[in-house]
Amino acid sequence: MKYAIETENLGRVYKTYSKQEGIINSLKGFYNRKYTEKVALKNASIKIEAGKIVGLVGSNGAGKTTLLKMLSGLIYPTSGTAQVLGHEPWKRENEFLKKVSILLGQKNQLWWDITPRDSYALLTKIYDINETQSKSRVNELAELLNCRHVLDTQLRRLSLGERMKMEIIGSLLHSPQVLFLDEPTIGLDIVAQVSIRNFLEKYVKEQKPAIILTSHYMDDITQLSDQLLLISKGEIVYNGSVEHFTQTTDLKKKLIYRLKNSAEEKEIVFNSQELTQVLSDLSKAGEVADLKVEEVDFEDVIHRFLQAESSPR
Amino acid sequence: MKTLFTAFCRRNLALAKLGIVSNLEYRFNFIIDAFIQPILSVGVEVLLWIAIFKTADSSGLIGGFAKENYLAYALWAPFLGRIAISWMYESMMVEEVVSGSINTILSRPISFFEYYLSQTMGYKVITTLFSMTVPLFASLYFKLPVHYDRLIPAFMLVVYYLLLVHTMSFLVSTLGFYLTRVRSFTLLKNLILMLLGGELVPIDLMPKYLSDILLSLPFSSGVYVPLALITGRADYNLLYRGFFNITWGLAATGLLSVILWKRGVREYTGTGA
Repeated sequence: MKYAIETENLGRVYKTYSKQEGIINSLKGFYNRKYTEKVALKNASIKIEAGKIVGLVGSNGAGKTTLLKMLSGLIYPTSGTAQVLGHEPWKRENEFLKKVSILLGQKNQLWWDITPRDSYALLTKIYDINETQSKSRVNELAELLNCRHVLDTQLRRLSLGERMKMEIIGSLLHSPQVLFLDEPTIGLDIVAQVSIRNFLEKYVKEQKPAIILTSHYMDDITQLSDQLLLISKGEIVYNGSVEHFTQTTDLKKKLIYRLKNSAEEKEIVFNSQELTQVLSDLSKAGEVADLKVEEVDFEDVIHRFLQAESSPR
Repeated sequence: MKTLFTAFCRRNLALAKLGIVSNLEYRFNFIIDAFIQPILSVGVEVLLWIAIFKTADSSGLIGGFAKENYLAYALWAPFLGRIAISWMYESMMVEEVVSGSINTILSRPISFFEYYLSQTMGYKVITTLFSMTVPLFASLYFKLPVHYDRLIPAFMLVVYYLLLVHTMSFLVSTLGFYLTRVRSFTLLKNLILMLLGGELVPIDLMPKYLSDILLSLPFSSGVYVPLALITGRADYNLLYRGFFNITWGLAATGLLSVILWKRGVREYTGTGA
């Protein structure tokens, strides 16, 4: 099978200047600097088909953005290989760049001082797209995102949610076959999040691009992703479907209880088969005043999974 | 081939327009850059030359030229100097590399050099059109010795020199891949250009060995050579020499920039973006 994205043992090591505190060390650092190496990503091997959305999840500094930057050609790897639509991304050939798009949720990629419509006109020329097609695409995408009314307002005068919608239109203008979305809903209110999520879901169904999506909002991941990639300390620790992950993970239930003469609610997360043992242990802890058992939600499962993966072994 | 060329022209024209629109958006910044700064510099230089000519000998000439020649030089030099130097766009380019916002450009099918060249040119064209009216009308009003028929070839040299200025800015910005703060390089480079370009003192007034060296370097082609041509201090031979010097300067800075860029993007971490 021909994959849209395929990597083999991809890795990146960053070299950083390590400075100790104080003026003396600053002076020492003037002529003798010590550098340390940090592994941001190692041995990442993934395969992604066209028309699939892959949710990339990990804690801060886990290596998510490094992986996205390498696959979009922004940075070079220090080891391994990658092919995106048959191109080595970091060569940044124009043919490749015209087929991919990266949206960095915390950065403006359109021009601050001009209107989105002017920005799209500029992008039309940069990507060498047919002007009539581009205009109708802008209108079509703006209609879907319900934001036609702000197309002629300067970007800097728009709200965060409106700006993000404008950025999304800009990133889709050239109909990319591969799309990298880094936190596309960050900082947005619930209404805007849902609107963008629904739009992406519809867009992928119709256009079939391959998408890698990172988000701290697990609703983005659960609603949109066909495949889940969990990354911890630069390593991919899970690569499979969301359903499979929730079915196979050990952390499935949460027991919330309160002991007599205590106002504090406590919780124990456990495997379903351990319920008898957990109840037995709890009865030894004291007289239970209140108790309930809940399913652990997806966000909690991921959080605990990553916590377990990143703790020292 | 023709389609590629058309696409190249379309996108660069659009970027040049962006440079113009973005700068006109910030009116006060534009007015200060295009008018106030050079006018203040003209004031200082004119006062300086008037003071110097009070000590001139009975012939009333310095270096073979009269006071009016120097006043014409002092009037045009700061305006040309503002055109032939890059502060704003160089700072933006450096910032893009250092902050990681260059990612936006790297992820699009356009080179960083081209992206900023078109904008710089757009900005310089609009600044030139507006700001050059001041020395032009002042020269006409005070009947200063200016060869108006030489203005077009002189400005052609300045436009060619802008390519070198931009390549130098590109070179400085590539240092952002290796160093966290590069601002001091911009300051140093622009001071050197002011000194070597003849903006403060006409190069022909310097000792012969020094002026020979400066006229062999490309930096004199931004201010001194076009000014010497339009104020009658030199003839077309110096203009041709100026074109030649810029050409080898472009080759040298271009080569060095490409080496630093290629190495830099390999090391680039995209931090902060």
